[in-house]
Amino acid sequence: MDLRRVKNAEKLVMCRRYYLAGFFALPFLWIVNSVWFFQEAFRKPQYTEQAEIKTYVIRSFIGSVIWLAIVIVWVTIFQLKRVDWGSTGDALLFSIPHGSA
Amino acid sequence: MNYQGVTFPILLMELHPFLQISSMNTGDPLASDPREGSPTERTGLMSGNQTSNTDRPSYRSSASDSPTMPETSVNANETAVVGDSNSNRRSRRPREERTRPDSASASTGEDEELMYGAKHVIMLFVPVTLCMMVVVATMSSITFYTQEQNTYFVYTPFQDQEAPTGTKLWQSFANAGIILCAVIVMTIVLLMLYKYRCYKVINGWLIVSSVMMLFFFSYMYLEQVMRAYNSPLDYITASLIVWNFGMGGLFCIHWKGPLLLQQAYLIIISALVALTFIRYLPDWTVWTVLGVMVVWDLVAVLCPKGPLRVLVETAQSRNEPIFPALIYSSAMVWIVTMADDGGRSKKKKKQETKDTDNNADEEDDDGGFKEHMANGISGHSLEDSVAARSAFQALGDMTQAQKDSSVHSSCVDPLSYYEKSEPQTNLAFSESNGNIQDEPTMQRQAVPEGAVGGAVAADESDVSVRSAKKKQKKRARPTGEGASAAGGEGEPSGGEQQRERPAVPGASDDASEMEEERGIKLGLGDFIFYSVLVGKASSNGDWNTTLACFVAILIGLCCTLLLLAMFRKALPALPISLTFGLVFNFATSALVQPFMDKLNSEQVYI
Repeated sequence: MDLRRVKNAEKLVMCRRYYLAGFFALPFLWIVNSVWFFQEAFRKPQYTEQAEIKTYVIRSFIGSVIWLAIVIVWVTIFQLKRVDWGSTGDALLFSIPHGSA
Repeated sequence: MNYQGVTFPILLMELHPFLQISSMNTGDPLASDPREGSPTERTGLMSGNQTSNTDRPSYRSSASDSPTMPETSVNANETAVVGDSNSNRRSRRPREERTRPDSASASTGEDEELMYGAKHVIMLFVPVTLCMMVVVATMSSITFYTQEQNTYFVYTPFQDQEAPTGTKLWQSFANAGIILCAVIVMTIVLLMLYKYRCYKVINGWLIVSSVMMLFFFSYMYLEQVMRAYNSPLDYITASLIVWNFGMGGLFCIHWKGPLLLQQAYLIIISALVALTFIRYLPDWTVWTVLGVMVVWDLVAVLCPKGPLRVLVETAQSRNEPIFPALIYSSAMVWIVTMADDGGRSKKKKKQETKDTDNNADEEDDDGGFKEHMANGISGHSLEDSVAARSAFQALGDMTQAQKDSSVHSSCVDPLSYYEKSEPQTNLAFSESNGNIQDEPTMQRQAVPEGAVGGAVAADESDVSVRSAKKKQKKRARPTGEGASAAGGEGEPSGGEQQRERPAVPGASDDASEMEEERGIKLGLGDFIFYSVLVGKASSNGDWNTTLACFVAILIGLCCTLLLLAMFRKALPALPISLTFGLVFNFATSALVQPFMDKLNSEQVYI
């Protein structure tokens, strides 16, 4: 998709769908949305759909930042506390590391 | 784990081991000097067999919403055109000969073509190299993909690794034969589905298989990477990663997404499938499969009734892209761009010449056109162009005059198209029109990088859209001719079009909706098998062999692109590359490597 060739209404639809889809635990789509539509929202001359696109882009950005923060915090906590949690921590393990001698 | 279920979708990926060019010929129409002969014939020649390029989104949305709607409206015309071209194939020859002198210009555009060719070669080298690098990096760092195993595809029942060499040999051929049969069956099923317009089924199939690949393979891959690097990862994060990766891929591949992301996903999918092949095919079978695929690719794409060829032709006649999920395309631009103008004018011009020859009936025009292109493609050889050139010279001034007029008309005619299709671009196009007529080169410079390859694509879509728009064109053509008769000045023709536009309101609405994919298209199957070859070559840890295969494949790809530039039709991309690759692999590992070892041990440096 080349955004330059897409009609403004179409852009809005795409942006909105990416934004809405992001709520299904899909921060990646929010990241894509905020990067992809950044130019549209902030760098382009004014057009009617732009305000709405702008809100979606901003919200997507905020959402992806929040998600990123959550993930980083969680991973940090998990890595630090994994051993302390005992069997619960082991049960959560996706890949079990082998020890090094 | 049971991988039997996985194999079904995987096979799908093999279905498109062919290279499709939408635009090798970028030779913009105006590249060659109008005085020197119509720039045009060349694109005309090739455009026939080129991909149809339509809009991805619209195809998708039409497939999901109301798959048959757009087609049915066009259907009647379309079949008429096809039948026509067939029936007229022979009868139209004389006329075609007459227009042949135009192709003299073909040779004049050669230089530009090669230049653009280099760009396209690089545009393909990058993704192919990336894909192979992912595979080789994985192969060399993650032992999971190289270690001995006991699980294999259901397609390869013979997997006795301890058998004597003779047994292994026939077993590998038997395995490859089974895989080939599966591939053939899948291809034919797909072809039938496509032929009878079961778009929903095809789409469902594609989505299911890409879901499999995106989620399941990435899950496997993540697991192996984490194991290889011995890093603890929790299920929550892992599932989040896989879920996001997979859904992102579905969005990008099957709906809309940034081009870069789409390409990245296609490359990653190919790499994952290639890794799976390497992992789950018995050692010897991999090589036989590669050899068999070479033959199959040749047959499927080049035989007159080869399934892939039929598929491509059907897609072209319907003016649809071939399943975007299976084709990597190096660039994508919309139909209405400056570059198109050139492509269009070429074609237009040709039509004009034809029309001056035989203005009588529209149907014949179509038939003759198609035949012309088919002919040009098959017979576009050196002799042809030489003969054409001499003919051209002999014709001398007369041709010149004719050409002048036709060039003018060609510049004019497409314009009327554009105006209809995209009213808001009116001004730009009138302007460009003026430029064209004054200085062809200006136009060329104005063509944006990415769109350079577009001429053909535009042509092609034009061809197919034609059937739908015959009537409008019929009306539009007189305008162009009138303008050319009037001397072809920019202003008057522009005026004409302005007048003409209201007469045919919304003539090519569909065209304005159309998105063009330009650039070279390479089936994902090609990516997969290239990567399988290189990955397998690297599996014994020998970098000489790996690099030799890598270079061999890229050289093969270059040769294929060269052939593509010459023949201008969908070509199989596997044969040359894989043959080179196989030869280099075995030569390096059996001859060069021992030789180097010997030299090393003797301390001889060359």
